[in-house]
Amino acid sequence: MKYCQRCVYPEVAVNLILDDEGVCSACRVFEEFETLTGDFWAERNKRFDELIEQYRNKDQSNYDCIIPVSGGKDSYFITYMIKVIYKLNPLLVTYHGNNYLPEGQENLNTMRKSFGVDHLVFGPSIQTLVKLNRLCFKRMGDMNWHAHCGIETYPIQAAVKLKIPLIVWGETAWDVSGMHSPDDYVEFSAKSRLEHSMRGFDWYDMIDAEEGIEARDLLWARYPSDDEIESVGVRGIYIGNFFKWDPNWHAPKMRDEYGFQMARQPFERTYRMFSNLDDMHENGIHDYLKYIKFGYGRASDHASKDIRTGYMTREQGIEMVRRYDHVKPRRDLERWLQYVGMTEEEFDRIADTFRDPRVWRKDETGKWVKDNIWEDASEG
Amino acid sequence: MNRLIGIVDYGSGNVTSVVNAFEALGFSARLSRDWAELKESTHIVLPGVGAFGAGMDRLKGLDLIEKLEREVLEKGKPFLGICLGHQMLATLGLEFGEHEGLNWIQGRVEKIDTGRSQLRLPHIGWNHARVLQPEPLYRHMTESPCFYYVHSYHLVPEDPSWTSAVCDYGVMLTASIQKQNIFGVQFHPEKSQPEGLQLLKNFAELA
Amino acid sequence: MLKNRLIPCLLLRNGLIVQSKQFKRWQVLGNPTTAVRRLSVWASDELIYLDISPDAVYDLKRDDLNHPNRGSLAEIIRDVAKYCFMPLTFGGGIRTIEDIRVRLGAGADKVSLNTQAVLTPTFVTEAAETFGSQCVVLSIDAAINGENRHEVKIQRGKEWTGLDPVEWAVEGERRGAGEILLNSIDRDGAMKGFDIGLIRRVVEAVSIPVIAIGGAGKWEDLAAALSEGRASAVSAANIFHYTEQSVLNAKKYLFSQGFNVRDPKLLEDKFRDKSSVHDPTLAWTDKRKCIG
Repeated sequence: MKYCQRCVYPEVAVNLILDDEGVCSACRVFEEFETLTGDFWAERNKRFDELIEQYRNKDQSNYDCIIPVSGGKDSYFITYMIKVIYKLNPLLVTYHGNNYLPEGQENLNTMRKSFGVDHLVFGPSIQTLVKLNRLCFKRMGDMNWHAHCGIETYPIQAAVKLKIPLIVWGETAWDVSGMHSPDDYVEFSAKSRLEHSMRGFDWYDMIDAEEGIEARDLLWARYPSDDEIESVGVRGIYIGNFFKWDPNWHAPKMRDEYGFQMARQPFERTYRMFSNLDDMHENGIHDYLKYIKFGYGRASDHASKDIRTGYMTREQGIEMVRRYDHVKPRRDLERWLQYVGMTEEEFDRIADTFRDPRVWRKDETGKWVKDNIWEDASEG
Repeated sequence: MNRLIGIVDYGSGNVTSVVNAFEALGFSARLSRDWAELKESTHIVLPGVGAFGAGMDRLKGLDLIEKLEREVLEKGKPFLGICLGHQMLATLGLEFGEHEGLNWIQGRVEKIDTGRSQLRLPHIGWNHARVLQPEPLYRHMTESPCFYYVHSYHLVPEDPSWTSAVCDYGVMLTASIQKQNIFGVQFHPEKSQPEGLQLLKNFAELA
Repeated sequence: MLKNRLIPCLLLRNGLIVQSKQFKRWQVLGNPTTAVRRLSVWASDELIYLDISPDAVYDLKRDDLNHPNRGSLAEIIRDVAKYCFMPLTFGGGIRTIEDIRVRLGAGADKVSLNTQAVLTPTFVTEAAETFGSQCVVLSIDAAINGENRHEVKIQRGKEWTGLDPVEWAVEGERRGAGEILLNSIDRDGAMKGFDIGLIRRVVEAVSIPVIAIGGAGKWEDLAAALSEGRASAVSAANIFHYTEQSVLNAKKYLFSQGFNVRDPKLLEDKFRDKSSVHDPTLAWTDKRKCIG
């Protein structure tokens, strides 16, 4: 297994390319960001100023935009930018997947008070969620598919129904793999939702006789048609394209000034304390399954980002990977097994069917093994 | 009526798209060079891209011409020629020398005259057709539907009443012909969304 | 009258669609077909699909997607053709007549020849005589050399040839090519506009249509390639992946500026709300790879 020479990503990391010098596409894009001067960001800020004015409602007859929020640190930051800095009137829209940690739920509840904004929260029936958790775990090794779908469908449905064309997203998440460069100015698209967030599965694939899921259980999951998108002029922008994104700075600011709570307990699979309070499984079993499939997890993601921004060295990053990537998270696993009614033995059996042969093999004793970055002879 | 679109595969060009188009429209389509498989068709389609002479040689080599003539000329089965398949309906083709065609539509296939217009050849891309005979192929579309063309030669029929649509490329080109149950289109309806697909639908729905 | 064409270009590298920057950097965009499905709905006039894989290894690099993992190029082309309702030109690594036959048989309408045409120019004629000139696109990659002149490069931009792109285009037409696809390597992915001078010189030298690619950063650049460059058609690989309904919006821009392009209208998505999981006649029935 080859690893990036600079960060800790393996070659199989999702959507990543290692170039001829052994540097990964995410590090290369980061290089592009690093050469950007203050002037660059000033230019970007100005571009945002001009864009946002096109959508500011002159007669206060409708919301200026929708902000899809989970109640996480990024939700706080985007709402801060839109409401406090730009003084727009956003409608916050939440897809509630029923996986909140208590502090995450409190963070969600606090938003309309901390910022003085209207907030629409939608949650599918718990029975439907339980069925989708089970079905998607078995079908694609991802119990959180419902959330990827809900988050990227419900706010767009709201935009069409309420005739609010602008949707403001936050982080340019493809930076994780270096899919796009700063100048690409990528916007939200149905293609990205279907292909990347939902792995090519959509609501109609989830109709299942065995689980008892019908079309009427999935109304929240239907993406609007191209005609609807065109007629309302729906457009999803990412403020990460216009403002330098640094959660190590903005998370503490949201905590200190807007009441955002960090995690009350450390996460089992990463060292960061402010991510994914809105979904306990994102850092937990969902991420553990990423490890089972591809041999790397959230600690690799966080360490790679922190190595690039200079918060830690590559050696420290490798140590994080060694310590956290393989950890089987007990707390949220226990919750999930009880939530969907599965045994751990069945969970392990199904999870193992997703081990990628490009990464995993069995040793003489029948144990799953793979190459590990801390054993990698080529790294200096 | 159980429709089966028989698409003749004589090794000329992209036939997959023709099959895909009919299937996307919900019709059963069968691609074959074997008469045993084609004879059950309710409709016959002759596609094709490339040189006239080579196309005719390949078609002759499959020993299908007489059988097609029986089904189409005698029994009146609906027939659609596309691009080269449309050109081969003529008496004579003039690309790379003189070659005999099927002679179901008396006329010649000549090079598009760009002497005065100085326009580029091949004629590649989307162009509007001016429909002279809306029934039956051009039902449910605008008066000047847009189709995709890729050719340097076009069929000039001896009887102008057989020309069902023309297209302007410096000179008037024959976009399509029809003579009773025989239809020919110079453009590629299978690649001309949405009006091309409507045309294929109109053809498939012929009784 | 014949319309100007707006043609998105997709680059396939070892089984994934990628962006390209100066032929040196690649960034993953996704699987071989989802983009095709969207581009069809946005009324693209044609699609150019180029295989720029350095070796014939095709792999999605993961097995948990609702998309088949095809190990061969012919299978990928067949999948692409299924979703591509506009004319499809396929290029990249075409060396023999049989290579062309395979691609046309899998669903391509035209093929694009590049390196092999330079190495054996008679190949262009052979292809035109076998399949017709209208099937043969001559793809020319040009870059500015040390003497500040344009020169043709082959092998995906790795080797200089000593050829002048204008002269090579003229010879290509003489040998039977039906169209020219002209790319500026320096402008590729730079989003700073097309090399208008180069395009214009090639357009004026040949009497076959010229498709210009390389440099689109905004819709105005596409317009310039048509109006100042006088190209018959304009293409782009990266920019159409950045925004929703991109091709449609580009066409709306051109239409509003008075260009002779097709009326910009959304087309029906024939695969909308259709499950490939439940309907085996649709797309994939791939079995997940399991080991152990």
